Amino acid sequence: MLAGLADALVLTHFQALCVFAFFVSLVFAFLTKQRLGERARYFLWSFLAFLLVGLALGWLMYPFPR
Amino acid sequence: MEEQRSSTVVADTPAGRRVGWEPYALGVAGWLVPGLGHLLQRKLDRAVVFFVSILALAGLGLAMGGRLFSWEPGNIFHLLGFLGNLGAGLVFFGAKLAGLGTGDLSRALGDYGTTFFLTAGLLNVLTALDAYDIAVGKKG
Repeated sequence: MLAGLADALVLTHFQALCVFAFFVSLVFAFLTKQRLGERARYFLWSFLAFLLVGLALGWLMYPFPR
Repeated sequence: MEEQRSSTVVADTPAGRRVGWEPYALGVAGWLVPGLGHLLQRKLDRAVVFFVSILALAGLGLAMGGRLFSWEPGNIFHLLGFLGNLGAGLVFFGAKLAGLGTGDLSRALGDYGTTFFLTAGLLNVLTALDAYDIAVGKKG
């Protein structure tokens, strides 16, 4: 099953970043906050911070050769 | 007055003792199966979120062609990677036994897959410690 999924799984770099940020932010929100509203706000903040920092680092590294 | 005192005692009692589990056993259960330490303390919302998220990260990591590290004491990076992978508990042992996680260098996603699985392991350690903290009464 996993092998079939692996063949079908084609993610862009940005999609992989979004999936990663989604799950990690979700776990962080439930680890650090108790109430639903607090968790929702923390999740959004963490998710957007992951995306912004990821994109910013991508731009910063753009001039450097591989 | 007597009623108030008894309710205070119940509220101060750590969740782990209330459900009859030792705190360290809840930590180990949480490490072996993501979310199990919380489930045994009837923290259903956290248990479901941790189980789904950590399994999703680990499964996607393997599906992307990520590599699982082996015990290599001479190589500090492999050793740290192994310890991070080990954090995933039974998911790591199951993947190793199934022969998964050999790494697919032909795909650019392979590196991401390695990171996904490593992150799943590290997050699982955090959730296991959280289950322990709840059991000893440090967290709600």
